[in-house]
Amino acid sequence: MDRAEKAPTYVIGKRPAELDTEDIDLTPVRTYWQLVRTRFVRHRMALISLFVLLALLIFAIVVPLLTGNEYTHAQLKTIGAPASLSAPLGYDEIGQNVFLRLAKATQTSLIIGGAAVTIIVVVGVLVGSIAGYVGGAVDNVLMRFVDVVLSLPVLFIILMIVSFFGTGNVTVVVIAIGITGWTLAARLIRAEFLSLREADFVQAARALGASHLRIVLRHILPSAMAPLIVAAALGVADSVVTEAALSFLGFGISRPDVSLGNMLNNAQDYFVRQPFLVLPPGIILVLIVLSASFFGDGLRDALDPRQRIEASE
Amino acid sequence: MTAVRTYPTDLVPEAAQTLLEVRDLKTHFYTNDGVVKAVDGVTFSIRERQTLGLVGESGCGKSITAMSILRLIGRPGKIVGGEIRLRDKDIMRMTEAQLRDVRGDQISMIFQEPMTSLNPVFSCGDQIAEAVSLHEPVSHKEAWNRAVEMIGAVGIPDPARRAKQYPHQLSGGMRQRVMIAMALSTNPELLIADEPTTALDVTIQAQILELMKSLRERNKMAIMLITHDLGVIAEMADDVVVMYSGKVMERADVTTTFESPHNPYTRGLLASIPRMGERRKRLEVIQGTVPSPLNLPTGCLFKRRCPYAMPVCDTAPPLQELRPGHVSRCWLTAEGAAPTIGENPSKELAEETAKAMTVDA
Amino acid sequence: MVSYIARRILQAIPILLGMSIIVFAIVHIAPGSPVDRFRSPRVSADQIASLIQRYGLNKPLIEQYIAWITSFVQVWRPDSWGYSFLDGQPVIKTFLARAPATLLLTGCALLATIVFAIPIGVLAAVKQYSWTDKIINTLATIGYAMPSFLLGTYILFIGGVYLGWFPLFGMQTLGHKNDYLDIGWHLVLPVTSLAIQGIAAWARYMRASMLDVLHQDYIRTARAKGLPGRTVIGKHALRNALIPIVTLLGLTVPTLIAGAAITEFIFTWPGLGQTFISSVGTRDYPMVLALTMVGGFAVILGNLIADVLYGVVDPRIKY
Repeated sequence: MDRAEKAPTYVIGKRPAELDTEDIDLTPVRTYWQLVRTRFVRHRMALISLFVLLALLIFAIVVPLLTGNEYTHAQLKTIGAPASLSAPLGYDEIGQNVFLRLAKATQTSLIIGGAAVTIIVVVGVLVGSIAGYVGGAVDNVLMRFVDVVLSLPVLFIILMIVSFFGTGNVTVVVIAIGITGWTLAARLIRAEFLSLREADFVQAARALGASHLRIVLRHILPSAMAPLIVAAALGVADSVVTEAALSFLGFGISRPDVSLGNMLNNAQDYFVRQPFLVLPPGIILVLIVLSASFFGDGLRDALDPRQRIEASE
Repeated sequence: MTAVRTYPTDLVPEAAQTLLEVRDLKTHFYTNDGVVKAVDGVTFSIRERQTLGLVGESGCGKSITAMSILRLIGRPGKIVGGEIRLRDKDIMRMTEAQLRDVRGDQISMIFQEPMTSLNPVFSCGDQIAEAVSLHEPVSHKEAWNRAVEMIGAVGIPDPARRAKQYPHQLSGGMRQRVMIAMALSTNPELLIADEPTTALDVTIQAQILELMKSLRERNKMAIMLITHDLGVIAEMADDVVVMYSGKVMERADVTTTFESPHNPYTRGLLASIPRMGERRKRLEVIQGTVPSPLNLPTGCLFKRRCPYAMPVCDTAPPLQELRPGHVSRCWLTAEGAAPTIGENPSKELAEETAKAMTVDA
Repeated sequence: MVSYIARRILQAIPILLGMSIIVFAIVHIAPGSPVDRFRSPRVSADQIASLIQRYGLNKPLIEQYIAWITSFVQVWRPDSWGYSFLDGQPVIKTFLARAPATLLLTGCALLATIVFAIPIGVLAAVKQYSWTDKIINTLATIGYAMPSFLLGTYILFIGGVYLGWFPLFGMQTLGHKNDYLDIGWHLVLPVTSLAIQGIAAWARYMRASMLDVLHQDYIRTARAKGLPGRTVIGKHALRNALIPIVTLLGLTVPTLIAGAAITEFIFTWPGLGQTFISSVGTRDYPMVLALTMVGGFAVILGNLIADVLYGVVDPRIKY
């Protein structure tokens, strides 16, 4: 005999008791981007970094805009002069205003970093999306190519390119950094494309008759952007550091142009007489890297969180 | 569901001693969004060689209850109150060393996901032998032999070869058997099985349950079986605890639970099981959804979904003892009528009555 | 396993070839010709022409490439890598003379990195959210953010100039040839500089990997068995957490090469990195080509070793 037969029937059709208004479930509903913003804001460090980056940007844009060529003015009488109101960081070894040079240097470095990252992103997206979307033999060939570029010792190649094609030429530096750095972006995009290619919403778009280009541009690419944005944020910092290293070694920007790297190089030469000259460019450099790093971390967490309550002790 | 019990009830004599007593257990999680009271005042006990079934929907707190017993709760969770007595010792007051003695030796636990519960870089035999040599003074060789023996005992053919294999070389069902072997290798008095068959195929499920039944007889051990599957409860359990949103809604022996449940929630659960041979136009459901733990209703947690809800349900209902061994958290009387204080009494009267009527055992 | 290694070596060959083409192309597409350094009023046009003839610089690029690559692979011949434009010595000879210095530097730095980074990372993961974790995380982030040349410069000035405890340049003090203690004394600053960045990066990876592992179900099982915390972490968690770290080895070779070059530059350490920088500056093409190829080879070798180690350490991988 089935035990269940003896169970009393549940009351069918009777609705739950009328609800009090105070007792309605009030958990708010949020959209995806609102959630992203909430999660990002929770990262104090990421938020602080965002402000620091903005401050640096303003510093790099406004000060050179207002003062123009003044950073190149070198006067004998101001060599090694101490700080004053118009020169908050004093003067350097050939009489130039350190503060103004710093601003211009930050600008140059950030421009180089931004331009290099643009190349990285463009080339990376091109290679990665074609490899990931088309797949097959094309993917194979492209990935072999990526392997070759990855196997090159990056610093050596950059040094070679810059040294042979024109030391001190900003364009050459940007191109050198760009064409050696796109491999990571390509891999990221390719991975995303490979997985998104089979996603249901892509199949649906295909069923509706969308052309390949439209699918890639309108459907897949926006979803694949998340890791790319993070990589780009970190890539800017990376490029700035690479440029600084280049200039430090004597291959990058040289006087009268100024970048964070060559400020450091100059400061090193005059270390004995003015030891503190190494500090401003170094600090700005570290600030850029740190804030880009935290910003990137915060972005990554905000765009793709994994919050689980785990049991352990 | 079958009414034929394969477990002879006389193996659990009424005089069997209490093995585990959980009293007013409270485990809270302090998350960014607020405090989640995953387990909020749960009480039950398990006798020697008894099988207790812990039933409820996902998220009702049954797994957390099990893990709290072995104090396996980590940040942001914390056991904030209650007693857990293993015979005469309070687990909550034990030192780390004493606790480790209990774990895996007197109380063993197996988990839901056999695919990921075994360490992928150690062989199956190693992991079982580790459990054995941890709790018993045996040599490495003896521990290994015991491991192979246990793998055989859980029905895996060619145990000597399998013991040397790694978890990824075994299927899901076999991995769960290895987990059971590991848990039973130290002859525990209580086995806590947290949804042991949920992640497995139905046919494998049946095999694992049969295995557990035979081992239960062989080892004479008690089992605390956690599941959301009422069919498994009907097959295995002696007594049933029904949980909802961190609280015990009903507690009774298995026959009473299935034949004459009292609590509307339990009745709703039973009613929603489709039965063979029945012709219906619609499936029976419990209206509404489980409340968000951050936004619990005042009073009875089930009131928003209960067809019997009355205004008095705005006050937390008492945990009444309807008969010896049968408690239910509800305002309805044992016959299912409105309480003696009426459907809409004053708040003070309701609270006082609830306090007076509640038993805490 | 052996067949896997053989397969990987075969796969590496086209990559090396591709690399050689790219490097060769860069050198020869660059403006200017190798003989430009010899152009001066004292050198006649005929001498220049004969130089061009002798080095085969007027032949088509493909021929030049083939000539170069076929010679390059015959490493048993002392002149296979050509002669340096700077000092006329066979490139291979200079390479072999300078290689030990670089290997010593990078070897010690790698060792220091592993020895320090792994315990630090494990500690930070185990004590997540505590002050220890926060401090370690902050220090690691700062160490990681600091560019290697910056760090190197500051370390040189603090250790060598301000404190004066360590020598300012070179590998050995004059007159103390092959004195191990002396070399060790010279090693301290450059190794510290090279290692700090490595420790910062690896500690973060170790922490992340450990955190990942600590949340796995089998750790919960291990605790439920009654294992003491030390065993759970030291045996069950660590073995699993180290697996992705092993693959890191391959990825850090390029960073190590770049870092070594910069460090050698700052501390005037007589190794291959410094050689490369000066040969790039002076357009010593044979040296540049050879060293770049060696660098690429090191990267590929590092990746291969990392993949093989990965197969050894993780029983789930079948080759």
